[in-house]
Amino acid sequence: MEAAVNTVRHEHGEGHTHSESFIRRYIFSTDHKMIAKQFMITAIIFLFIGGAFALFIRWQLAYPGEPIPVIGTMLPSTWVNADGAVTAEWYTQLLTMHGTIMIFAVIIPLLVGTFGNFAIPLMIGADDMAFPVLNMVSFWLFPLASIIMMAGFFVEGGMAAAGWTGYAPLSVIASLGQTLWIVALFLIGFSSILGAVNYITTVLNMRAPGMKMFDLPMTVWSVFITAIIIIIGTPVLAAALSMLFMDNFLQTSFFMPENLTVTGRDMSRTAGGGQPLLWQHLFWFYSHPAVYIMILPGMGVVSDVLATFSRKPLYGYMAMVFAIIAIAFLGILVWGHHMFQSGMNPLLGTTFMVSTMVIAVPSAIKTFNWLGTMWRGQMEFTTPMLNAVAFVSMFVIGGLSGIFMASTPVDVFIHDTYFIVGHIHYVLFGGSLFAVFAGLYYWFPKMSGRMYNERLGKWHFWMTFITFNGTFFPMHILGVGGMMRRIYDPTVYDFLKPFQPMNEFITINAMILGFVQFILVFNFAYSWFYGKKAKRNPWRANSLEWQAPSPPPHGNFDKEVRVYRGPYEFSSPESVQDYLPQNVSPEELAAQWTRHEQRRAQQKSEP
Amino acid sequence: MLDWLPENVSTFGEGVDHLFHVIYYISVAIFILVNVIYVAFIIRYRRKRKGDKAYHYHGYNLLEVSWTALPLALFLFLALYSDRVWQDIRYSEKTPNPDLVVEVMGQQYLWHFRYPGSDGVFGRKHIRFISTTNPFGIDPDDPAGRDDLLTVNSMHIPVNKTVLVRLSSMDVIHSFFLPNMRVKQDAVPGQWIDVWFNSVKTGEYEIACAELCGSGHYLMRAVLDVHSQNEFDQWIDEQHENVRASIAAAGAAPDNATLAAQPDDRQSPTE
Repeated sequence: MEAAVNTVRHEHGEGHTHSESFIRRYIFSTDHKMIAKQFMITAIIFLFIGGAFALFIRWQLAYPGEPIPVIGTMLPSTWVNADGAVTAEWYTQLLTMHGTIMIFAVIIPLLVGTFGNFAIPLMIGADDMAFPVLNMVSFWLFPLASIIMMAGFFVEGGMAAAGWTGYAPLSVIASLGQTLWIVALFLIGFSSILGAVNYITTVLNMRAPGMKMFDLPMTVWSVFITAIIIIIGTPVLAAALSMLFMDNFLQTSFFMPENLTVTGRDMSRTAGGGQPLLWQHLFWFYSHPAVYIMILPGMGVVSDVLATFSRKPLYGYMAMVFAIIAIAFLGILVWGHHMFQSGMNPLLGTTFMVSTMVIAVPSAIKTFNWLGTMWRGQMEFTTPMLNAVAFVSMFVIGGLSGIFMASTPVDVFIHDTYFIVGHIHYVLFGGSLFAVFAGLYYWFPKMSGRMYNERLGKWHFWMTFITFNGTFFPMHILGVGGMMRRIYDPTVYDFLKPFQPMNEFITINAMILGFVQFILVFNFAYSWFYGKKAKRNPWRANSLEWQAPSPPPHGNFDKEVRVYRGPYEFSSPESVQDYLPQNVSPEELAAQWTRHEQRRAQQKSEP
Repeated sequence: MLDWLPENVSTFGEGVDHLFHVIYYISVAIFILVNVIYVAFIIRYRRKRKGDKAYHYHGYNLLEVSWTALPLALFLFLALYSDRVWQDIRYSEKTPNPDLVVEVMGQQYLWHFRYPGSDGVFGRKHIRFISTTNPFGIDPDDPAGRDDLLTVNSMHIPVNKTVLVRLSSMDVIHSFFLPNMRVKQDAVPGQWIDVWFNSVKTGEYEIACAELCGSGHYLMRAVLDVHSQNEFDQWIDEQHENVRASIAAAGAAPDNATLAAQPDDRQSPTE
């Protein structure tokens, strides 16, 4: 093992001196930092596509049947009617693609693809990933899959329209767009597995000398555990998608019961004898853990950001690590809580309710430890810190609203209502996306070598925070009122008519929320080229990535890295300053003290 | 916030709503507690002077244990409490004896309802017989099925009676949602699922589909009429009369003569 590590080091020792062609460097790059940037840029493009879809959905819900302003009449006739209003068919495609894109093309690529790739080798003091070529393949599968999925735009029948959950038989009797959706998800799953194999191997084998597993920063721990969940869960999704593909394309009947009768459709070639609930079990066996795939890395990033800007050691490091492991383990045992009303045996409802209630405990532990981290700190409210602070508070709301659904009888009422929509957005936007923002601002200086604009960063944060709550909090109220999710026009129902003003309020907030994100893009795009040059360690942080130059060259570190301590030695009485990087040797520390004493003595003698 | 809940008119709905309230107040209390501490920390522990060191402290195990044990106890309590209500509404051995059984079949994008005919029994059915003209798959060879009462998007039940809904779907998954009854149950093709409720108040309520079933999902609305027993008897007698009349009309055609004779033979007053 030691030998393998040395070879890699040797190969890349002078790596940054040899020049590479444009294509090798920017397109088919094997450098983990470039791959991270590729993931980031692709995912941010999809963030805007998915966000635009959400705004079309919101427009229709607030003003059912009214033409989309400005661009309505310019859209193709398969999407909008003659007036320029969203059609019911397109609406169903939009909600499907919004969910699919945001989960598989935005949140997972940002948290796992971007931060995993960028942070892991740098934070463990490695030159690159264990398998750089595999890493490149993992990235390129993702745009390929996205193109296949988006091709649904141009085929007959449009994009997939069975919801991001793709429940059979609706997803089986669907059009070509659904088939493309299946193929795309299969490839994205492949990309995840390749990435996960790489992360696990890299973390286990390529840590800098002296670095124990319990010297890893929480970001690395969380992505490492996430990778294990991906390895366990994604093959199941692949199996389920294969079956769905065969049902959808080859008329098999894994999920199709006998004599399914669909108006206007010849089903005589389908033999039947399958079970629709099988899809749900297999899908959720992956997709519930996927919820943790989308939140654990966020928790890791936030832990690092909170500790750095509170200038304090992370409170209860071991408890935090074991809480992540507990979440990962329990996360595999709770998938049935999506299926309380599905027709599953009610006894199983009881089982899954208990496991679901238990999984709230490690989340609570994490929250308390974050509070503990801030206690008696010296907090500095930079943009990453603001986003991390918001994450904790929003995650508490998302966690608490989850308890309602965990309770089977309450779930009877709120299942498939806007309460769920509110909940998932508090976890995935209020949680994951705020963590993404925290991480992007935090590592921007390292990625680009320049500082982002702090004032724009703060504007972006506050506008996002306010309109986020304005958008998603009222959804809980809609859910309590009984408004079903995924309906095209709530005014069809008398009991939902009183909620129309609230729907309008949400839509206005959502639009501002959407447009505010351009501040982030402008800030990053401008600062990338014209920002102030970043120092090596602008945040005075301890983990190893800050000991490399900004931006790190090919091969990352310009000096040998050896680790002497954990990543959270902030404000240690042992250190001269309020931070103590992991790689500062005891001799160097002693030398720092000597210099410090000399300086003080000088200052005393001078006046 | 819970004032927004639609009016509850079912017997077990009170238990559900009570649990909803309990969890709501616990959540609000936890949220306030956590956020008050949080905001206090944010104000109290912000950096005031450059160069000050924070408190170097790695954690305290007893605290970790206690904030593991306390939430665990709370959540297990909630699980046990929820399970009592859950058992009452869903476990088959706790289902009260039904006064009325109604079969419900979901189809893109409407709800079919089926009541026993004037003979008081449902005709035999089999999934093989399901077609767009025979949504429940009633066996054409079973005479008991001929007078079964079928309605579309309109369900009628008597007040204060246990109604057992036997639910299925002929195409994709739908979800039978009665907001005022606190009932929601997916209708799964190829499978019959029982769900019961008992309305304590007469009136007209809405039935919705809660599971995405296609682009017409939002149109899948039906109306539930809860009548007094008298009104309900009157309604069902009327409907039975209509069915008999239509069977007789069909019987007037020569080739259907044998079919039409049977229901009349077996007619006996049912309660």
